[in-house]
Formats: sequence, structure tokens, C-alpha cells
Amino acid sequence: MIDQVRILIVEDDAALASGIARILEGEGHAVDVMATGEHAVLGAKQEPFGLVILDIGLPGIDGFEVLRRLRASEDRVPVLVLTARDALDDRVHGLDLGADDYMAKPFAMPELAARVRALVRRSQAQTGPKIVHGPLILDTLARRAQLGAAPLDLAAREWAVLEVLLARVEKIVSKDAIIQAVASWGEELTPNAIEVYVSRLRAKLDPAGVKIRTVRGFGYMLEEYKERKAGQ
Amino acid sequence: MLKALLPPVATLLVAGAAGAYFVSLEPASEAYDQALVDVGIALGERIRSTGAAVSFDLPGAAEQVLRTDKYDSIYYSVRRADGSALAGDPGLPPLPALQEPEDGVVRYDGEYLGQKIRVAALLVPCGGGTCTVQVAETTNKRRKLARNIVLSSLGPELLITLATLAIVWFGVKRGLAPLEDLSAEIRSRSARDLRPIDPAHAPEEARPLVGALNQLFGQVAESSGNQQRFLANAAHQLRTPLAGLQAHTEIALTQDVPEAHRAQLEQVHRATIRTARLANQLLALARAEPGGYRAATKPVNLRAVVEDAADEWVHRAMVKEIDLGFDLADARLSGDAMLLREALANLVHNALEYTPQGGHVTVTTGMRNAEAFLGGPRNDCAFLEVEDDGAGIPPAEREQVLERFYRVPGTAGTGSGLGLSIVREIAQVHGATISIHAGAHGRGCKVGLTFPHG
Repeated sequence: MIDQVRILIVEDDAALASGIARILEGEGHAVDVMATGEHAVLGAKQEPFGLVILDIGLPGIDGFEVLRRLRASEDRVPVLVLTARDALDDRVHGLDLGADDYMAKPFAMPELAARVRALVRRSQAQTGPKIVHGPLILDTLARRAQLGAAPLDLAAREWAVLEVLLARVEKIVSKDAIIQAVASWGEELTPNAIEVYVSRLRAKLDPAGVKIRTVRGFGYMLEEYKERKAGQ
Repeated sequence: MLKALLPPVATLLVAGAAGAYFVSLEPASEAYDQALVDVGIALGERIRSTGAAVSFDLPGAAEQVLRTDKYDSIYYSVRRADGSALAGDPGLPPLPALQEPEDGVVRYDGEYLGQKIRVAALLVPCGGGTCTVQVAETTNKRRKLARNIVLSSLGPELLITLATLAIVWFGVKRGLAPLEDLSAEIRSRSARDLRPIDPAHAPEEARPLVGALNQLFGQVAESSGNQQRFLANAAHQLRTPLAGLQAHTEIALTQDVPEAHRAQLEQVHRATIRTARLANQLLALARAEPGGYRAATKPVNLRAVVEDAADEWVHRAMVKEIDLGFDLADARLSGDAMLLREALANLVHNALEYTPQGGHVTVTTGMRNAEAFLGGPRNDCAFLEVEDDGAGIPPAEREQVLERFYRVPGTAGTGSGLGLSIVREIAQVHGATISIHAGAHGRGCKVGLTFPHG
């Protein structure tokens, strides 16, 4: 499991803010809610938050400005942007300014929770050498893998493919992207070869409930680990 | 224009010919009349008066000469003061009573032996009284002269008229050519194109018209823009409260609630999701409509658009256990990535909505020949296609499903009936053709957009 962190929610709609807060508290996080951008900038300076959930349409200074000020003060806290505005424009703008992820309102709570988990996991992975996904642990420093209590034997190529998928849990990774990430310079790797590595990985991970989904004609997606399924 | 000009010009032509006729006929007739008078004078000199007795003597040869004329019959008569005939043709019409003699001569028209004649009557003093000498001729010469005058003046008149009409026609045509260009430009515009016309491209004379048109364009664009902005704002404003509603409903559903309440909560949840989708669709419509949003035209690769958005669709497919697959090749066109993404999202959403559990949905992009241009360069039109093996759309319904809020009768599910009309609007913005067919093996549905070359 990922560690609990302190999360700042910046949202002026009280109903939505309290809903998000309840979900995240349910996941074990400590949550603060602020309704204006000015408070958020001050608050983020005073407290070390593990994640900021930031609405764009705030009264006073808007979410873009909050983000700009956070990044200007070298604050690398992960930021998940929420917006009721036009999807693509805001996303480009938000990600340019250094947002880590983006959600268009309205959204499903389970998806929000999953995105938050992914962001927290990513920021923790950046600070430590271990990638954790359910029972799967990859120690990137020692190059040792572990599934539950047992050590997991992975060939170099399998390790590389798994690392790419782990970096983008719940996102489709195209075969081309996997080839680019895995192939050494000047080496030709076919999509068929990737299929072979994935099927070997599946054979090793599936029994423990770690699922790699094939997206026909496109690529693969490491599904979010669901603990209940592992017990079934 | 020419039609309007023809009657007055024709009238002018007739009036001109008539004017020329009368103007040149009078001096000509005058000359003939004078010839009659001269004959009359010569005849008058043949009257001899001896006291009260009056006699007239004309040798036969002279009379023959007198009566000889190439075209007309010549008549004469000489009467005494009491009106009795002295010589000549006695039945010539008498002098009109009301006409005053002019230099002792009266000229008049009359009829003799069933023919029109012109008469010159001279009053000659004789034997203490006044004798009358009448000289008359038929009007053949005069009619011939009149005909010649009309014919000779009509030719030039006709030429002048034709030349006038030609000049007017060319002038009008030339003068209106810039207006033709202007109308061609306006005709070639799409309904969405409300940009003002550049007055620099319009002719001097058409500038006020261009100004008025631009003002109209501006007003239409503004009112349409206001409407679309209202729609967009309303949709934006709806999203945040809907997000709150959805959040709390979902939280409540994760908690231990009595079964009866759970069913109601689930109803609320479904309605919330539906409303949220409707808000998004209204927003998309607002964007695709004229004046609401200026579609960007930038190089777009449909393959990249699909790859970028696929994550959102895959989760929904997973929940419904539908096999969502892709067959992606580069499909480059000039267009608006955001609108194209919206069109794709609606097509995929529809396919996932109407395909049962265990079904298949495939998104394809690439380049191909537009059917209309089979002879043209190969594979130069970008296309996208979404195919499913679900319920399909009956052929009779395929036009109607593109209409707003239309839903195929008897359809399950919670669609608003806006999805395909949004796709159609976006297709129109891009000049793309939309096609709806049955899927492979006649099952399901295949909706495709084919974009114009370039």
C-alpha cells in the first residue's frame, strides 16, 4: 500500500470540496480544504503537502495563477487540476504550467481516487528506489523484484517492459512506446517480440492478481491492483 | 436590364423614323405640288378672253405631253367663273369652301375615279371674272417617295438602335461584373463563415453594399455568438454542482445504506451522470455551431487524437466487458483537434452504449480514396471509423439519427439523442462526409467520417 499523505483541496464549491475530502479521508489521507487561490498559495508555503487538488475556476486569483506561483517558488508538490472548462485547452495550459494530471468536471469518485493514488505513488517512487504495485515490488536500485513474500525472477527485457507499464498504471501504453523504451540503440524490436515478453510477464504476475490488459491494435495497460480480487 | 430597356428604345426608334418621315416628306411634297402649280400656270395662260367670252385652247400634242407621267395619272379641268366646264376632266372634286387661296392657289387632297389625288387649283382672272384651273395627279409618286424616305431613314435608325443596345448591354455587364464576383464569393461561403468581406476587394460602387453586408454579418455573428456563449456558460456552470452531486451520491453508495434507499441513490447517480453528459454535449454543440467557436485549422493526425483519448474509453469498455480495439494508421488533415476528439468520443460512446457485454468495438483511422474521387490520386483523404457489433441502426433510421434529440424508437439506454448530431456538426465544420452502414457480416453499425483532400 502507498503511504498516507497530507492533501490540499482548493475548491470554492463547498459541496464538491467536502465530497472529495470524504473520499480521500476514506483512503486514509489527511485533508485540508481552502476556497480561494490566495489562501492556497499561503497554505502551501506554510505546510508541506503531499498533493494539491486544484480547481481552475476560483474566485480571485484562478487555479492557473496558483499553479504558476507554486512552481515559481520551486514547490514540486504534485498537482491534480480540476476544471469545468473546455477540456483540451485547459489541459494544455495546466500541464504547461506544471500540473501533473488533469480531470474534467464532473468525474467519478473512484477515478479521482485512482488518479490520486497514481500521483502519490509516482511522487514516492521518485523519492525512493522502490516501485510498489499491490503485491509487486520492484527495487530499481538493487534490481530485485518481489511478488508478495517470494522473490520474482525477471529477464532483463521483461523487467524493462514491466517498468514502462508500472510508470503508467491505468494508462494504455502503445506497443511502439514500449519498443522505444525497451530497445537499445540501433536494435530492431518487433511488436511480436513485445507480445512474447508480455505473455511471459502475465504468466508470472496473473496468479497474484496483477493484470496486464491487451488493448487490441494499440498496446497494453497495467490495471489498477484490486486487493479484493487477489483474495478471490 | 436589357428587357427593361428594349420597349423604350423600340419606341424611340419608331418615333425617330416617324419624325424623319414627316420632316423630309413635307419639302418633297412641296416640290411635287409646285410642279402641279407650274402646269396650272401654263394652262391658265391658254385661257383667252374676248370681252365676256372666254375660250380655252390646248393643242392635242400639248395635252398629251401634259398627261404623260411615269407613275401617276394627270388630270386637269378649266372652269369658267360660273363653274361651267371649259375643258379637261369635268368631275374633279371642287375646291374646299373653307380653304383660303394662297397666292391665288389652293392645294388639297381629294378622290377621283376611286383613286386618291392631289389637286392644285389656280384662280385665273378671265373675261371680268375668275376662272379656275385644276391640275390633279394620283399619289403614286408621293407614296413611293414616302416609302423611300421611311426605308432610307429606318436603316441608319436601326443601326443606331442596335449599337445603343449593345453599348448599354456591355456597359451594364461590365459595370455589374464586380457584383457578380461579390455574389460568387458570398455564395462560396459556408453558413458558418461570418467574416466581414474585405472592402478592398470590392469595386468602388459596391462598397456601400459591402459595408451593409458586413454590418449584417457582424450582427448575425454577434447574436449567434451571444447564444452560443450563453449555452457554453450554462454548460460550464452546470459542471461544478453536478460534480458535487455525483461525489456525494457515490460516497453514499459506498456506505451501508438500506436496500430501498440504495436503489433510489442509484437512480440519482444515473441521472447525475446523464445530466453531466448532456451538459458536455450541449457545450460541444455550442462549440461546433457558427459564431460560437471559431474552429481552429491546424495540422491534425487522427491517429494521435485517438491515442490521446483512448484511456478514457478503455475504462468504460472494461466495465461493460466490451473488447475495444484499434486499427490506427496516420490520418493527417487540417482541422480542429478538440472538435475531432469530441466527435470521436461521441462515436465511441454510442458504440459502447449500444453494444452488449462481450461485444466488439473497433476504432479505425487512416487515409483512403473518397468514393467520389476514385480516379484521383490514391489514398489522399483522411478517415475515421467506429464499428461495433451491437444492435445497429435500421437503414430507414440512418438519416434521422443525425437529427438532434432523435433516438431510434425502442432503444434502451440513456442517450440524449445528441451524440450523432454533434458528430454531424463537427463533420460539417471540417467539410467531411458522414456515412452510416451496417458493420461486418451485416451486424452492428459502422459510422465513418471521410475528410476532404488536403
